[in-house]
Amino acid sequence: MATAQRSARIANQTSTTIFLICAIFIVGVIISVFLFLGSNAFRVFTEGATLKDFFSSANWDPTGNNNVNGNPSFGAAGLILGSVITTLLAVIIVIPLAFGMAIFFTEVAPSWLTKILQPLLEIFVGMPSVVIGFLGLTVLVPFLSRLVAPLTGGLPTGGYGWGAATLVLVVMILPTVISVSIDALRAVPGSVREASLALGSTRWQMMSRAVIPAATTGLATAVVLGMARAIGETLAVSMVLQGAKLPQHIFTPLVFFQPNVNITSAIVQDFAETLGSARDAYWTMAFILLVITFIFICISRYLASRSAYK
Amino acid sequence: MSTQQATALHTTEESRRVELARLIRRLRLSNGVALGSLWIVASLVILLFIAIMILLLAQGISYLFRPDFYGTGNAGIGPELFNTFYVLILTQIFLFPIALAAAIYLIEYAPQGKLVTATHFAAETLAGVPSIVLGLFGVIAFGIYAHMGTSRLSGALTLLCLNLPLALRLFEDALASVPRDLREGSLALGSTRWHMVRTVVLPSALPGIITGLILSAGKIIGEAAALIFTMGANNPSSGVFTLNPLIGSDNLTVHLWYILTQGLGSTGLSASQTNQVAAGSAALLIVILLLINVTARAIGRAIQRRVTAA
Repeated sequence: MATAQRSARIANQTSTTIFLICAIFIVGVIISVFLFLGSNAFRVFTEGATLKDFFSSANWDPTGNNNVNGNPSFGAAGLILGSVITTLLAVIIVIPLAFGMAIFFTEVAPSWLTKILQPLLEIFVGMPSVVIGFLGLTVLVPFLSRLVAPLTGGLPTGGYGWGAATLVLVVMILPTVISVSIDALRAVPGSVREASLALGSTRWQMMSRAVIPAATTGLATAVVLGMARAIGETLAVSMVLQGAKLPQHIFTPLVFFQPNVNITSAIVQDFAETLGSARDAYWTMAFILLVITFIFICISRYLASRSAYK
Repeated sequence: MSTQQATALHTTEESRRVELARLIRRLRLSNGVALGSLWIVASLVILLFIAIMILLLAQGISYLFRPDFYGTGNAGIGPELFNTFYVLILTQIFLFPIALAAAIYLIEYAPQGKLVTATHFAAETLAGVPSIVLGLFGVIAFGIYAHMGTSRLSGALTLLCLNLPLALRLFEDALASVPRDLREGSLALGSTRWHMVRTVVLPSALPGIITGLILSAGKIIGEAAALIFTMGANNPSSGVFTLNPLIGSDNLTVHLWYILTQGLGSTGLSASQTNQVAAGSAALLIVILLLINVTARAIGRAIQRRVTAA
């Protein structure tokens, strides 16, 4: 009896310790991501890159292959501009579509329709990035190329660029933003809707004056999470960007329809072929992405902590 | 009451009635317009999703019935299919116990405290880290510091870091759905916590745990960006049908990316072979994801039946 009790207690303590270690492991992973990337991120600034050039010049050539003297140059402004512009445009397109769809899903759609839509949405949330990239290459790029042929003079590369990247990003983040928005709207209790209807509101008044204001912070969280996904989206975007550097003239509408760059496409296209200081420049880019998404996550957590309904 | 007064009263009442009727008409109109536009936005989004599905399946479904598609030739994806499931199993060997143990700790052991908050914050941050950034972290941490180089093991460990947050959340949901009284009953009979978890909580949470396992498998199968630099994009010439975790190899998604972006010359595939592999892989990925979603859903329904019948 006593030994059985003791062995039960030992098993209990051992398992508790193992479970604790696994929980701490997750904290350890994220800390080591910051440590490993952070410790490599600043080395490039001791190897010829300056902070000012890094954020103001658009001449990204860490290997020095494009320079006659082989001098590398570390100007990431073009890459950062690409990521920021495609992300912002994609989010602007996604917001009305996602919010409209989410409100439709929770307030308007008949239940048989939501039963069909739920699995469809879940599959798209987990849609592999390359699959969308494949569709972008085979369907979207030829279509855009034909569409803008009068503008570009029929250049075969007219379909690639920020325009296609934005549309691909829309498809990639739309399901995520929709499903987080649906969660936010569902968290608003039914009594809010009933109270509004009982006061004589029409259904649209109920949605626009009671439900949406109550879910504002949740909807904002959805947008921020969508932005975090969009800025880190890699393969689908790099497949339809296919550029080596920022085009010469960026203040024309044509800039959206020529091969272009962003942070993730630069990493995925060139990282494997680099060594030494050129490789260090890519650690810096990865660290910048990490910090940007970390800020987005902090904002979304702050918003979520302020929302009335969880 | 004089007739004059009566007429005055009558006209104010009349004008109020007209005003109210106008108000009602305006409200009805805005309600109709708003609901109509919600239907339009929702149908656009649904059409977009369905069109993507149909385009993907229509391009590739015919290849899925060709035997040479599953072969090891140029137009076959035999090695990639093997690698995909090899990496899936290798990753789950690490992911499943760690994520489940961490979830058990957070749900069953930890009092509401700093560690729970820290772990949830860590998981949320990790979930927001772009997969390409985690890929570069994997290159430093597993490839360089742990001397694994570009290998399946290094890829699987990177996937472990990438999927921890999702698996943790799914397992936490599964455990949290076990009713409180079951736990209390077990503890009241004198079980230790470990005994209670092993004999009461885990068996009742089993369907949810299996759902979590399947859903995280879908994420692992679809991942590519994190694997390009950790597991590589090429197969060794000695063949891939070995269980050696220290060789580099590609999987379905990475192969799809590789043949679409490296150009016809460097992959050694003809245009029709490229199309067969690309369209076929994309369709196969969609079919696998559909199957995963349907299975997870069926198991979810089984839980519901058990809970409601109990």
